Amino acid sequence: MTLEWKYVTQALPFLWEGTLVTVAASVLALVLGLLVGIFVVLGRRSRFKVLRGLIIAYMSVVRGTPLFIQILIVYYALPALGLDIPRFEAGVIALSLNSGAYISEMIRGGLMAIPKGQLDAAKACGMRSSLIWRRITLPQVLVLILPPLTMEFTGLLKSSALLSVIGLVELTRRAQQVIGETLRSPEVWLTTAALYFVMCFALGAVTRRLEKSAAAYRL
Amino acid sequence: MDFSLSIIVEAWPTFEAGLITTVIFCSVAGVLGLVLAVPIALAQLSRSWSWRVPAQVLVEIVRDTPFLVQVFVIYFVFPATGVPMSSTVAGILALTIHGAVYFSESIRGAILSVPRGQVDAARAAGMSYPLTLRRIVFPQMMGYVLPPIGNQIVGLIKDSAVLSIISVPELSMAFQNVLGTTFAAPEAFVAVAVLYWLLTSAVTLAMSRLERLTPTHRSTEEMTSLLAKVDR
Repeated sequence: MTLEWKYVTQALPFLWEGTLVTVAASVLALVLGLLVGIFVVLGRRSRFKVLRGLIIAYMSVVRGTPLFIQILIVYYALPALGLDIPRFEAGVIALSLNSGAYISEMIRGGLMAIPKGQLDAAKACGMRSSLIWRRITLPQVLVLILPPLTMEFTGLLKSSALLSVIGLVELTRRAQQVIGETLRSPEVWLTTAALYFVMCFALGAVTRRLEKSAAAYRL
Repeated sequence: MDFSLSIIVEAWPTFEAGLITTVIFCSVAGVLGLVLAVPIALAQLSRSWSWRVPAQVLVEIVRDTPFLVQVFVIYFVFPATGVPMSSTVAGILALTIHGAVYFSESIRGAILSVPRGQVDAARAAGMSYPLTLRRIVFPQMMGYVLPPIGNQIVGLIKDSAVLSIISVPELSMAFQNVLGTTFAAPEAFVAVAVLYWLLTSAVTLAMSRLERLTPTHRSTEEMTSLLAKVDR
């Protein structure tokens, strides 16, 4: 078999547009996921039993079921409940609900790394707990979780490929469209894989750097 | 909103068939993946670059591309090179390679967690490298390797849902069929989520039982502090 690359070179700008959608969905999902994660961590310490119970159930469902099913549920089940949301938004919601559960675990780990003496000192200075969160805890936790967060972002870039299933025109969906036009399936899939690889590999290098500087920060 | 169990009962044969396929696919890929993971891990730790580089390239490629795209590459590129490919073979192959790479990362970490001095001592005492691995390294690393492997088996089960896209008749395919016949009944969503949840929970439970049987079983606190040392 001979590989025909000329169709792929023609289709590259088209694939590039899909890449941008992939990146946009992943960035949005990461930001929203971070908010979900913070909410989960705070909710777990809440006085309200019902909220704690709901959060435990949420964590269990997100971690115990495939992301693929979660995406289908958000896309098909929410309209059945009367909520009509477009593909992009539905996809981002599904991704951020999923990664929020994992991000909350990172935040919990980060919180444990902050010496208790700092919180006592802040309290002794008369800071309110909301102020302690904003000034002492959160800034440090954010630095500590930066390396795992970039790793989560790599994960999101990869799992956003699943959004092609609900018809969101991101990189993987674009690849399928190019194949529909050119019928050069092997070349297009290899190119698509290469595009994902370049993004994720570069981010992996960034993660390793951040890990080094975060380790220095801990001293 | 009405919720009737009769829809689930009616669709049960479809779900059951899908569940069985998922279990079979994950068991086969899980076992094959574990078997392949050991040589990949050893190759990555090898001193000779002719072993290390290919293993590292494989690991990076698998880790830095989406599983869905890996499935498509295997399903569509192999037939173009003249190798016949069915969705079953492609599905098992994709899951196996994916699993092997992630398992190998845990195994590599666990091998490194066994103190280097013990390996040197064994070699100095005249034990061959394979014998050192079998007698000294492997028995001690079980406590380190089981927790991450358990998580990765759960991950494998969850990833296998993607295989419905190349029409492997597993659980999420069954779910989509039920969606079609019941006009997206909410019951179908609940049923598929519960089934996957039960499956992954069963694996988690079984793995934690298994962990307690290992000779080097340690509490979670001990493990975290030990692993932190390994990272450095």
